Amino acid sequence: MRWFRPSASLAAIVLCLGLTACAGGSGDGKTIKIGIDLPLSGADASVGRSTLNGMLLAIGHAAASKNALPGGFTIEPMQLDDAVQGVHSPQQGVANVRTFVADPSVLAVLGPYNSNVAAAEIPITNEAGLAQISPSTVSDGLTIGPDAAKLRRANPTQNAFFRVCTTDARQGAAGAAFALKLGLKNAYIIDDNETYGLDLANVFERDYQEKGGVVLGHDHIAKDTQDFKSLLTKIAAKKPDVVFYGGTTSTGAGLIRQQMFDVGMGGVAFMGGDGIPDLATVAGARANGTFYTVAAPNAEKLPSAGAFVKAYEAAYHEPVGPYSANAYAAAQVAIAAIARAIAENGNKLPTRAQVLGAVAKTRDLSTPIGKIGFDANGDVTEPVLSLYAIKDGKSIFVDQIDVKAK
Amino acid sequence: MHEFLAQLMNGISLGGIYALVAIGYTMVYGIVELINFAHGDVYTLGSFFALAVFGALGVSGELHGPALAIDAGLALLVAAVCCGLIGTLLERVAYRRLRGAPRLAPLITAIGFSFVLENAMQAWKGSAPLPFPAVFPNPTFHIGALDATAQQAFVVGLAIVAMFVLQTFVERTRTGRAMRAVAQDRQAASLMGIDVDRTIAITFLIAGLLAGTAGFVSGVYYQSTWFLNGFAAGLKAFTAAVLGGIGNLAGAMLGGFLIGIVESFATWKIGGQWSNVTVFAILILVLVFRPSGLLGETVSEKV
Amino acid sequence: MIYLYAFGTVAAIVAAARFASPRITRILVIGGTLALLAAPWIVRNDASLNAMVDIALYVVLALGLNVTVGYAGLLDLGYAAFFAIGAYTYGLLASPQFDLHLPFWALLPLAAGLAALFGLLLGTPTLRLRGDYLAIVTLGFGLIVPQVLQNLTKYTGGPNGVSALDIPSFFGRSFGTGATAYYFVTLAAVVGVIAIVTNARDSRLGRAWMAIREDELAAAHMGVNTTGAKLAAFALGAAIAGLAGVVFAAKLSLVSPDLFGFQVSVLILSMLVLGGMGNVAGVVVGAIVLGLVNGTILPQIDGIVNGVLHTSVDLTNYNFFIYGAILVLLMLFRPEGLLPNRERRAELRAAAPTEGPA
Repeated sequence: MRWFRPSASLAAIVLCLGLTACAGGSGDGKTIKIGIDLPLSGADASVGRSTLNGMLLAIGHAAASKNALPGGFTIEPMQLDDAVQGVHSPQQGVANVRTFVADPSVLAVLGPYNSNVAAAEIPITNEAGLAQISPSTVSDGLTIGPDAAKLRRANPTQNAFFRVCTTDARQGAAGAAFALKLGLKNAYIIDDNETYGLDLANVFERDYQEKGGVVLGHDHIAKDTQDFKSLLTKIAAKKPDVVFYGGTTSTGAGLIRQQMFDVGMGGVAFMGGDGIPDLATVAGARANGTFYTVAAPNAEKLPSAGAFVKAYEAAYHEPVGPYSANAYAAAQVAIAAIARAIAENGNKLPTRAQVLGAVAKTRDLSTPIGKIGFDANGDVTEPVLSLYAIKDGKSIFVDQIDVKAK
Repeated sequence: MHEFLAQLMNGISLGGIYALVAIGYTMVYGIVELINFAHGDVYTLGSFFALAVFGALGVSGELHGPALAIDAGLALLVAAVCCGLIGTLLERVAYRRLRGAPRLAPLITAIGFSFVLENAMQAWKGSAPLPFPAVFPNPTFHIGALDATAQQAFVVGLAIVAMFVLQTFVERTRTGRAMRAVAQDRQAASLMGIDVDRTIAITFLIAGLLAGTAGFVSGVYYQSTWFLNGFAAGLKAFTAAVLGGIGNLAGAMLGGFLIGIVESFATWKIGGQWSNVTVFAILILVLVFRPSGLLGETVSEKV
Repeated sequence: MIYLYAFGTVAAIVAAARFASPRITRILVIGGTLALLAAPWIVRNDASLNAMVDIALYVVLALGLNVTVGYAGLLDLGYAAFFAIGAYTYGLLASPQFDLHLPFWALLPLAAGLAALFGLLLGTPTLRLRGDYLAIVTLGFGLIVPQVLQNLTKYTGGPNGVSALDIPSFFGRSFGTGATAYYFVTLAAVVGVIAIVTNARDSRLGRAWMAIREDELAAAHMGVNTTGAKLAAFALGAAIAGLAGVVFAAKLSLVSPDLFGFQVSVLILSMLVLGGMGNVAGVVVGAIVLGLVNGTILPQIDGIVNGVLHTSVDLTNYNFFIYGAILVLLMLFRPEGLLPNRERRAELRAAAPTEGPA
């Protein structure tokens, strides 16, 4: 073991040093980078990777089509993992976004996945004037109200954060309206105690009660729970018409739906938001009887949605993740905005401010999740939410509702 | 009353799985004083192996009669044996070399292996939760006010059978005696002609076999698995081992069932988000007020 | 640039430790101090400076944990809990959450005191336990604290945590959003903590710790107040984590429960193990190396490796694997860490007579 001296470890460090020095040497002025910040390792990878794939697919499509960008520019993704030891970390997110800000060839940032990572990153991109588009952070306070204003304190008049997903407020309200329309008058609410799930469940609870529904109870679950039989045994005794779940397939929806059958609740409806369209990948045939909302008009009428799913499955040989389509759309927004900014700048490399302006002006962009445009807060203007039912692994359009941004 | 019994049954079934995993912790700790952090991940690996067997056999739904016995038996066997071998392998390549090192070294190694195993599972089957075929028919029995499903009976039955077999093995066989001797005093055992290395390897093998069995059982019971399940389950199983009195087989079993019941009741009465807090609070309280556990004898620090 | 700094600091520490000549050491210390003080003007890249602040915070945390684990030999697997207590002290008392806006400088000692208090509360009943049990109690505590912070939504903001925390200021001058001010604060914290822990180590208390670590029974028989000394180690370690928590929260302008999970405790512990427990220089080296690996190398490893080899392997997928492998290989081939202290090394080597030939 003599050989393993400090000198050996120093040699390793020198090696790392050399590697980065070499790696940092590309830049021909014609390459525009899009920074991607997502949790890509550990527990969060289950959603992070399928989200990343959606973005890379869009960037790949843009590269494949010759005239995606004017002026001979090419787009290159620069992805950084914001998970530290397998858990998404706002601290690492900030470090990554600062890396993007420091690299002048980065003109837009995609991500993050988690709302609290976004809360830490928004002040940085806001100050730098670097457009940031998130596929999935739904917490209301990121874009709306005094909380959002505080995040923009470096540059109060400028918004640099956009998201292609809907907010919890709209989705929870739509869920409540749909549930009552379906005649489900007694609900039991469960959430995963994470930012997305908790907020969604709270809004659902408030709106459902306002509209006359009866909430039999509201429980939160702990991370990494595998056994929901006790919780469901308790819920079964209250005989709800519907179990509403705030969260995603991987944070518990799949297991809960499955175990509902084990406690004799297989016939009770199960409902959630846009975190559970892939429920059948975990619950299989037991996903039947599930409803979920999505912030877009009927996807069956959107040829882009079907085409996206086909392209995704062909490229990655795996089913589409819960936010893959959103991710694709977010990347499309960035690419289209960069293309317009280049054109407006006389086919020369645009500035970050020009790209940011172009992102904010996004209107009627066709994406797999419908036409996208942004309001002044950076939220999508789309007021239509759809309800889907899962039947034998397929999503079937049930109904749609116009919530008109509140 | 009806709901109380149903919750009790939920807790006992969950506890059966913890018990199988806890035995591995307690045996390994008893013999080499190592908190084998990777053990929880070996447990998850068990469900992955079983899933792979079902995949290879083309099983996707309920099985009956001989097909059930053969296919499920094969999956169980493969899961148990593979996990046993992996447990032994970890001991052979790493823990054995660190036997003389201070306690922290093998513990950190075990944490490192835990990460490696998790990543291996993620690379193997992806990072999303996986469906597990519902191979067992699942009728509900009514015994008085008690409702129990066939799966619950299977989980609890298997745990108890495994426990009896193991207890008999440790008490009656030569190897079992050797294990107890090595646990008590490795040097003396070695002087008495016991092959210490072999005995420790067998302990890891048995721990792995049981973890693999538990992995299979959890797959069948929950019809799903996920590459990170082992972290929380492993810690709770370890809690069970401590609660029962570490180093004590019957204690691990008892602790497993108690932790399962506590978790069920905490979810029922306090709320799901407090179930982990409750379990770990119990862990702390037990260690503070009765560090030897429920069935353990009082041990003074080895000096 | 950040690599240069990390490399330079590590090289300087290793050189000082190996040559052990006072003159060389003095030159290295003076040169290193000047280089570190000038860093914001040399690096001139906010991202790199920010990464350096993160690393310096890891150094502080590792130094704190070193008191508990390295000096007194008490294995603490829930260290992140004390870090969380410090961070939430700032998050709740200097934010819009309760509309309290206590100054940063007042919260530093308050958070350190609070964390130490929790350390005493946890330590008093548990420190008489055998080592491994203590590890498990602290592990349990480390899991309970973030979960409780997440569950008490009304007070702590729940899973969202608290964002838009107050930006600290120094005699009326705001720290701003850049990393520079935080860089100097953490640098000062590193120096201060090194001074505190080396003083403690060389005091009567430090000798008691060492005695306990090597043989608690013998120490007790020699009249060392073992419980008191262990408690002191536990509380001092916790206080340093609390201090680091305040700086961390202020710089991030956010606290949320998922920042303080088990993985953070393991990360800090790995830094100690990597660098060499019980030795300040070793711990600093360990924190720098792992901080760099975790914060800069692993997130960017795709670009680094594929850029050099012109491949397109997706390595982020294997971050976890790489990390675990580092721990395992290190333990197998150099259990005393890269830069162990002499007594510790002697203990380890003496305790490992069965080790195979090198």
